[in-house]
Amino acid sequence: MSAFLEWLESDARGAGATRVALSFAVFFIAWQLLALLVTNTMIMAPPLAVFKSLWVETQSGAMWKHALATVGVVLLSFPVAVLLGVMIGLALASSKLMTLTASPLLTAMYSVPVVALAPLFISWLGLGLASKFVIVVLVAIFPVIVSTEVALRSTDAHLIEAARSFNARPLQIFTTVTFPFAVPFIVGGVRVAWARALVGVVVAEFFGAFAGFGFAILAAGQTFDTPVLLGYVFVLGILGLIGSVLLHALERHLAPWREELGQ
Amino acid sequence: MNAPILEVRAVSKTFQRTGKPSVEALARIDLSFAPGEFVSIVGASGSGKSTLIRIIDGLLQPTSGEVCVEGKPVTSPGPDRAVVFQQDSLLPWKSVMDNVMYGLRIARVPHAQARSTAQHFIDLAGLTGFETHYPHQLSGGMRQRVNVARALAVSPKILLLDEPFAALDSQTREIMQTELLKIWDAEKKTVVLITHQIEEAVFLSDRVIVFSARPGKVKASITIDLPRPRPLAMKRTTAFTGHVDHIWKLIEDEVRSAMGLATLT
Ligand SMILES: Nc1ncnc2c1ncn2[C@@H]1O[C@H](COP(=O)(O)OP(=O)(O)O)[C@@H](O)[C@H]1O
Ligand SMILES: [Mg+2]
Repeated sequence: MSAFLEWLESDARGAGATRVALSFAVFFIAWQLLALLVTNTMIMAPPLAVFKSLWVETQSGAMWKHALATVGVVLLSFPVAVLLGVMIGLALASSKLMTLTASPLLTAMYSVPVVALAPLFISWLGLGLASKFVIVVLVAIFPVIVSTEVALRSTDAHLIEAARSFNARPLQIFTTVTFPFAVPFIVGGVRVAWARALVGVVVAEFFGAFAGFGFAILAAGQTFDTPVLLGYVFVLGILGLIGSVLLHALERHLAPWREELGQ
Repeated sequence: MNAPILEVRAVSKTFQRTGKPSVEALARIDLSFAPGEFVSIVGASGSGKSTLIRIIDGLLQPTSGEVCVEGKPVTSPGPDRAVVFQQDSLLPWKSVMDNVMYGLRIARVPHAQARSTAQHFIDLAGLTGFETHYPHQLSGGMRQRVNVARALAVSPKILLLDEPFAALDSQTREIMQTELLKIWDAEKKTVVLITHQIEEAVFLSDRVIVFSARPGKVKASITIDLPRPRPLAMKRTTAFTGHVDHIWKLIEDEVRSAMGLATLT
């Protein structure tokens, strides 16, 4: 047993997948138990009922319609948020004056729940893609800006000095030291941004949409169709998980030395 | 003696710190190094040894005085000098090969040429077979050899070594000392080595310079007239231990006064 636990903690092949499988198993058992306790089907549904309704949604094509709307918005706006965020972070890190001036504003905007402004954006930009695009970009961009700026500033001073001792010019120092050092940290920020983007798009869809997971969840809630509601929430969770796992793998791939240092 | 390759002329350095008293790190240092000479600098910590290395390399400007390489004043780092730093300063995301090629690539040496030069120094440093390894996969001793290879690859005339072996255990350290002598012999560099270990300084050097405690000043310059090549067994000869004892006495007072203790003599 203890040998198994040790293996489970290790980086061994399959240990990671086993950990994921285990946490899912625990999650489903807890969910099933909760459903046994809370028998009111208006507020709770057991896993099986949820999966059945997901199957029905898939068969009827509703799932694809909603997925296309939500994933479409995210795929369009998320890369923009990442690119713009990295660019703003670079600009901030390149100038002390700019950081000092902009950072109080950034901190304030980072803390403001931008999603609360969703109704405003929708009345300005309408029910279409534009309002959702803006909301997702706004919620996702801040972790990217902040992680880019912090990572670029926290580069090991010894590495920069070593580069300087080889007569590296400022641009060479940036491309060979500062930026490569920052990339894995930026990917960490992108991981946080991904989760926020999913929340952003769903909330935007709550306030006005004709399709999308947010729209479907709201509709199911209004008709007390709990299995469908939980089904779409489950799908969102899977989307979040996939993004997080992929980005985490990318982070590890880009900075294997940080893993081995136990960070 | 030949015309000096490196001269340190009346170099002083005072660090100004906002809101805190300034630190006088170096006070009028005058030193002269002959081509091919191996010189060690020993002194208490905080006596400005690393600061001097940075000034010689051109990373730091002296408050007054100047450094000249072959008669020309130093204003910035240049291809005639290379440093091996006290701290680990390999790029963790680059392989051994790419780290050793770093200085050459910065100098825009074509890739193929940089690669073959780097390979030569990787072999010289005894790292053959580890080209594709990353720094975190190597031992401390091997990492420091990569640092030495990276510095040598740009074929500097002057090699500046700032306590390169400080973090190594004593066996690895002895091996690295003999390796360094071999490389020095093969490459005919002028070497300035900072070290804490007096034995190491005597074993490796033509001359040992003793720094006084803060602010750093040259307290003594001792010529080590032991014959070369120097086998490890030389460390047990009376000529060797005589030098070590002499330097140790010179330093002891400095270390004591740096620690605020009464001097013995
Ligand atoms: N960048 C700096 N700013 C302020 N003080 C410094 C700086 N670099 C070194 N010093 C100070 O200068 C003195 C000499 O430092 P250093 O050259 O590192 O000594 P050593 O290498 O002999 O131990 C120390 O007191 C150190 O705190
Ligand atoms: Mg030092």
